[in-house]
Amino acid sequence: MAKLEASDTVVLGISIDSPAANAAFAKQIGVTFPLLSDMNKEVLTSYQILKPYDVKGGKYQWAQRTTIVVDKQGKIQHVEQGDSAVDPNSAVSVCTGLHKPKA
Amino acid sequence: MKGIVTALAGVLLLLGLGGQVVAPVTARAQEEAVAKTNLKVGETAPDFSLLSDKWEQVKLSDYRGKKNVILAFYVLAFTGG
Repeated sequence: MAKLEASDTVVLGISIDSPAANAAFAKQIGVTFPLLSDMNKEVLTSYQILKPYDVKGGKYQWAQRTTIVVDKQGKIQHVEQGDSAVDPNSAVSVCTGLHKPKA
Repeated sequence: MKGIVTALAGVLLLLGLGGQVVAPVTARAQEEAVAKTNLKVGETAPDFSLLSDKWEQVKLSDYRGKKNVILAFYVLAFTGG
């Protein structure tokens, strides 16, 4: 996180959980960045990362694990999906790279 | 004896058909393993405004010109990853 703050970067967690669930989750895992609630799945839909899950015969649509880096101009700089998206290192290195003045 | 052979052949045929029926289903499940976004590097990230865990509206475009933003989408709170 220190590396990120130094590179002028914020992290936003996003899921379909309620703000109350996210508040408890943030407390449990000790994160200080905002956890956002996409309860209407609007963002998951516009980002096309709704994924079907089967749980005990019930069908649900939740987020595909995804990391997207958006630069200060609002442009996408990096997209990572699936299990590798759990590891934030590549997203972090993209951001520290963004901070460096271009040669 | 002939009846048993016929029955066995029938079972094998069923298993074979079963295998053919199951295979495409498995392939489809694998295709769905990642809900792949069509968003590409260089495109403008769609803007949004969502409630935070502190019940505040957080808007992506509020960071425009100020901060890089890492969007970390996760499946559910309290679950691994």
